[in-house]
Amino acid sequence: MEPKRRLTVCLAGNANVGKSVIFNQLTGLNQAVGNWPGKTVERAEGSLHFEGYTIRIIDLPGIYSLSAYSMEEMVSRDFIALESPDVVVNIVDASALERNLYFTTQLLELGAPLVVALNQIDFAARKGIKVDAEKLSQMLGVPVVPTVATAGIGLQELLSKVVEVAEKRPTPMEIRYGREMERSIKKLEASVKTGLPRLTSRYPARWIATKLLERDEDICKKVDGENGGRVLSEAAKIAEQIEDLHGEPTSVIIASERYSLVCQTAKQATTVVSPPVIGIGQRLDSLTAHKILGYPILAGVLASVFTIVFVAGDATIGILERLFDAVLVPAAEAFLSKGVPPAAVQVISGGVMWGVGAAVTIVLPYIVPFYILLGILEDSGYLPRAAFLMDNMMHKIGLHGKAFIPLLLGYGCSVPACVGCRIMETDRERFLAGFVVTLIPCAARSVVILGLVGRYVGIPAALALYLFDLCLVMLVGRLAFKALPGAPMGLIMEMPPYRAPSLKAILNKTWARTKDFVYIAFPFIIGGSVFLQLLSAVGAMPMIADLMAPLTTSWLGLPQIAGIPLIFGVLRKELTLVLLGELAGTFNFSGILTSIQMVVFAIVTMIYVPCVATIAALAREFGAKRAVAVAVLDSVLAVLVGGLAYHLLSLAL
Amino acid sequence: MADAATRMGLATRTPMGLRLTETGESFVGRHREEYVHQMHVHGSVTGRVRRFLEGNVRDWRGHWRRHGFDDETLTGFYRNMQNLPGRVEETLPLGDLHAGEKCTIVLPLGGHGMVRRLAEMGLTPGTEVRVVRSAPMRGPIEVSLRGVSLALGRGIASRVLVKRSNNGQPTSNS
Repeated sequence: MEPKRRLTVCLAGNANVGKSVIFNQLTGLNQAVGNWPGKTVERAEGSLHFEGYTIRIIDLPGIYSLSAYSMEEMVSRDFIALESPDVVVNIVDASALERNLYFTTQLLELGAPLVVALNQIDFAARKGIKVDAEKLSQMLGVPVVPTVATAGIGLQELLSKVVEVAEKRPTPMEIRYGREMERSIKKLEASVKTGLPRLTSRYPARWIATKLLERDEDICKKVDGENGGRVLSEAAKIAEQIEDLHGEPTSVIIASERYSLVCQTAKQATTVVSPPVIGIGQRLDSLTAHKILGYPILAGVLASVFTIVFVAGDATIGILERLFDAVLVPAAEAFLSKGVPPAAVQVISGGVMWGVGAAVTIVLPYIVPFYILLGILEDSGYLPRAAFLMDNMMHKIGLHGKAFIPLLLGYGCSVPACVGCRIMETDRERFLAGFVVTLIPCAARSVVILGLVGRYVGIPAALALYLFDLCLVMLVGRLAFKALPGAPMGLIMEMPPYRAPSLKAILNKTWARTKDFVYIAFPFIIGGSVFLQLLSAVGAMPMIADLMAPLTTSWLGLPQIAGIPLIFGVLRKELTLVLLGELAGTFNFSGILTSIQMVVFAIVTMIYVPCVATIAALAREFGAKRAVAVAVLDSVLAVLVGGLAYHLLSLAL
Repeated sequence: MADAATRMGLATRTPMGLRLTETGESFVGRHREEYVHQMHVHGSVTGRVRRFLEGNVRDWRGHWRRHGFDDETLTGFYRNMQNLPGRVEETLPLGDLHAGEKCTIVLPLGGHGMVRRLAEMGLTPGTEVRVVRSAPMRGPIEVSLRGVSLALGRGIASRVLVKRSNNGQPTSNS
């Protein structure tokens, strides 16, 4: 018996090339999604068995280059260079060969053992493009397998090539630059080899030399760390000579040379067989990104998403709550009958079980449907169109169009929205988007707005609150954008063609995201719920309400009991409403609160400290310090705005 | 030495030599933008901006020296500003083109990071680009190049200098 053979394979490629579809096809449900250690970059891993091999598959983030531009790129290149996977599968979009092969050249330079998956050949054919995989393989010196990932075509062949490359390691094409650049690289490579033994044991010397010429910050730092001052100054001198000659930064010259190489390769491997078919995708594109029609379509899409989420949520939430009551009440009684002290029972049933209930009743009814719909919008290619239309608006708060996506998520739930801020390029913009997201009323806050103001004061008042919130977001976002150091980034975003989304990929993604949500949110919701039950078991609640009284009664003009629901609301925002009803002994809120009080209560709930799950998500994405800062800032803002609203409305009405 | 620039906070010393700081980038950027503005508003470039773009080195160096820059720093800062391919009068910002028009990239302006990003996304000098559409109210524009579509924010698009292609007529496909 042979010993069990293992292979580590990673998937690399541009965004929107069907990488995640291939990953899902290969690994099925056998996958785990997490973060790269110390980085807020998603790491998806799965495994499969093939021809006696156990193949571990790591899905690298979708990127366009291997420079040190973003965390995603850093993670990818360090994984390929330092953890040396047995095979790197480069997924290439056959319908946009040139841009995709640009990334391939960088993988080749990094010395990765490569297999190219020439994906979406069906889509290329519809564009009238035929790519000769055989010829491409000859030119690149690595196996090229045509695939149609959505239909699972070519994946077996891909796997056998992976095994073949892992066993044989063919010599790939060497990327050769123009004569003068080549001479510079060679010269520098020699110095790198002699001067930097430690670094060259980790990265190829030629690659280091190229990166030094490109003035790659990360590599420069690493070289400097190995006392490579001499190599650095030599690199700087050579780079300056080249720049003097060309009048452009070396990174642009090198990118241009790579592109001209790639352009030739792509031209030779591609034949245009027929004029492109103007398909339904292109018609959709010109409609949904239309400068006038695009906006009502966007509004319609958003309105239907939220209607579906709320209708589905309402239907399931009723069933779930009844289910939980059916379990909770008998369980509590059983404890009591066994002689457990009532206070302990309260902590257990009211804290732990009720916390679980609270968590589940938000995940299943709201989060899952929202994730599914989001997956459809994402995979079909609609979201970039929405971002395109909204770029202008987003610039008002110092962000670009891509920020529209996490903001949109925020209306569903702040937790995925915080995670969604990862699509922003710089740390500054991620944080700014994350901060703004906490001010967007999520589904739970909408329950309060609609259930209190919408029901008792009127729908127009509720809508006015949403509008008010939007203005507040604009204002606060703008202030934060001015206050945070750094310059705003412009939008550079690929607009992928429309494609029919794959149900399997969407369900897998929903599953992975829901799991992620559960990991972030559940411990905090349950822990927080136990803590608050403990507080009320020891009788601390009335004291806290007393302490808060000056704030709640005189500044916000709310009844004193309203303080307690606001504290519990930290667990889950719609609890404020439920608890208020319970404490007052009636769910007819018109008996407890005046219209103005309802509006103030809704405003405070809408803005004040994000729920524990959101704080946890903020802490994970931006660090604990900044999470606390956001929580404090939001609370101060809520009290300020709520109080102002109370006093102004009292004057006006 | 480049102490003046570092003292003014325009550049920092790194292992690779001088690097522009953010302030330095915008300092330099202001003059690049002045060029774009003049092209855009007046249809031609005059005076200092034109002289420095045409590589009249003595003139703009003198100007910058008055800002406290020395020769070494200036060489570093302006290396990539010389040798503008093509005649200045023929170029215009990409953001000024209308849907359907075609052009060739002449020179993307902006900070190192941005110019490099654009190059990596395929916007290298000499690349043919077609404008697909633009969003209303000075929103982003969508361009098609190398078989892909990219959305570029208006700010970026107005910093990419292009040359209009002769057959700049709207076409139905790329």
